[in-house]
Amino acid sequence: MSKSIFNKTNVFIALQYLSARKKQSFLATLGVMLGVTTFIVMINFMTGVNDFLDDAVFNGSPDIIIKPEQKTTSAKKTFGTRILSLKNIEELDIFLRNQENIQAFAHQVISPAILVSDTQQLPGSINGVFPSEENLMVEIERRLIQGKGFQSLDNENAIVLGVSLAKRLQVSVGDELKMILPNGKSRQLQVAGIFSFGITTIDNVRTYFSAKTLQKLLGQDNAVTAVHIKLKDRDNVDIKTRISQNFKDTIVEDWKDSNKTIVIGNKVRDILTWSVSFALLLVAGFGIYNILNITVIQKRKDIAVLKTIGYSSKDIVFIFLIQSMIIGLIGAFFGVVLGYVLSYMISITPLDTSDFIIVDTYPINFKVIYYLLGFSFGLLTTILAGYFPSKKASKVDPVTIIRGI
Amino acid sequence: MILQAQEINKFFKDPERHQVLHKVSLEVKKGELLSIYGESGSGKSTLLYILSTLDTDFKGSLHIKDQDIKTLSPLALTDFRNQYIGFVYQFHYLLPEFNVLQNIMLPAMKFAQKSNEEIKHDALLLLEDVGMKEFAKRPSYKLSGGQQQRVAIARALINDPALIIADEPTGNLDQKNTDIVFDLLKEITEEKGKTVVIATHNSKIYKNSHRTLEMIDGSMRL
Ligand SMILES: Nc1ncnc2c1ncn2[C@@H]1O[C@H](COP(=O)(O)OP(=O)(O)OP(=O)(O)O)[C@@H](O)[C@H]1O
Ligand SMILES: [Mg+2]
Repeated sequence: MSKSIFNKTNVFIALQYLSARKKQSFLATLGVMLGVTTFIVMINFMTGVNDFLDDAVFNGSPDIIIKPEQKTTSAKKTFGTRILSLKNIEELDIFLRNQENIQAFAHQVISPAILVSDTQQLPGSINGVFPSEENLMVEIERRLIQGKGFQSLDNENAIVLGVSLAKRLQVSVGDELKMILPNGKSRQLQVAGIFSFGITTIDNVRTYFSAKTLQKLLGQDNAVTAVHIKLKDRDNVDIKTRISQNFKDTIVEDWKDSNKTIVIGNKVRDILTWSVSFALLLVAGFGIYNILNITVIQKRKDIAVLKTIGYSSKDIVFIFLIQSMIIGLIGAFFGVVLGYVLSYMISITPLDTSDFIIVDTYPINFKVIYYLLGFSFGLLTTILAGYFPSKKASKVDPVTIIRGI
Repeated sequence: MILQAQEINKFFKDPERHQVLHKVSLEVKKGELLSIYGESGSGKSTLLYILSTLDTDFKGSLHIKDQDIKTLSPLALTDFRNQYIGFVYQFHYLLPEFNVLQNIMLPAMKFAQKSNEEIKHDALLLLEDVGMKEFAKRPSYKLSGGQQQRVAIARALINDPALIIADEPTGNLDQKNTDIVFDLLKEITEEKGKTVVIATHNSKIYKNSHRTLEMIDGSMRL
């Protein structure tokens, strides 16, 4: 007796049935292939964009921001002259240093300013940072396209700025730039570095300057307008409430608050990917289910005969299941190949810089896991779709059928 | 004794519970050609499905080659049937997706005791025995009824079974083909020592069998 149902003979019989219905088998295979291809291209594309945005936004902006609460009465008084500083900075520092989930934090001194180049004059803001702190927050080296990063800020006159802002000001590294502060003080600066995070919201406005120098120029020696925090586990933002409870007059925002549109966009892209792929595989699976179901009904006599000559119910299940598995394997294989080819073609297609992201081509993920996932989905769908007709086939009662022949 | 059936009772539940076989007992010796005749509806087919182990829903006992059929699991029964029993039906059903040779090979490929090459060799010899060798590669549906029945007999023989059961194997054939098929079955018993049980309406067949039994309304006439 043949020991396992997975044997040459059963595969041979399955292949014979498949090749007797070449056209239908081909169409079913095509269906699986398209399902898998779509899944792979979509997931490569969507997660590519998601990862790109995550990386750019979450590396370029902190996980948590602590700002002073702006009281409407005092706001009028201070507007235009003094910047609003956080209170009890030393206590806040000690508190933050003792928090488990905090990887690093950095003080910020941010002031409105007007930037004047040889040809342009733009209102904006100037972001004073402490280089040793900020180095732990932002991987600026990876983002530099010209010049140097935070270490250049030890020079009191150095400014590092975003690529879009530099373009608008028509300056490049080494060029002179004048900064005018709200209190009337001005300073001649030199562009030390130009960076790009790839997203307009940062590259268009962000500047880095020495915090100490800025404090001096503003005449507010210990003013800190914000504290940026980088978390170890970004999804755990419990610390937010603890800060607000312990430190009155502060506003605490987490990355979800600050990047609502991106967080939502990522979710939408995820949902879209899974639902479209699922729908396509469902259609493909239904196609296979239909084909096998019809075959089982048409081939009841054959199944009865196979049973009388010694094929067991398990053999019959396998003979039909292997048909859908072959369709699934071939379809999923070509789906993966086509998915890769299309993803690659998208990844090399030049792209006009959009309003939102600044890239040469679409960011595409090429993670092996997605191909494995696509392949498994394709196969799983076909096995599921094939299982029920196969089970039905195995239940054919040979006596009933043969009586009717 | 190759087959022993004792007091077999068979009931059908549809449309209401009714008895179709009444205490049918019979014994078949090795090398015997036994024919069973009887009016339409007397229960010949019903009995043969039981004897060929396809139908296990009956009362009484059945031993084939001293094996109590009722003690076998469904899977063991399938294997038992594959090894020891060849079945030929009135409508000689061959699988249309396979050619003549492949149809004959299928039971042996399931049995898996020989290589496909050996099985092919055996199948060709059998095709020669039934006079169908030149049709080996032909799709099975492109044969006449008589030709298909000869192929079906070859298929029933491929695993060298002890027992061949044929339900009106000539029911659809003209006299010339009936003679060919019957001669084949007789040859099998006399030259190869096989045991054959045939249900038939054909008087020429039951008169030329080694032994004949008559069924009347579900009972074996004594
Ligand atoms: N599935 C079934 N359900 C109910 N009754 C059945 C079923 N199959 C057969 N019968 C009845 O059992 C009896 C015996 O039928 P069977 O087919 O064995 O007769 P037979 O001797 O082979 O007849 P024939 O010579 O026409 O082939 C008949 O009365 C038939 O109506
Ligand atoms: Mg009958």
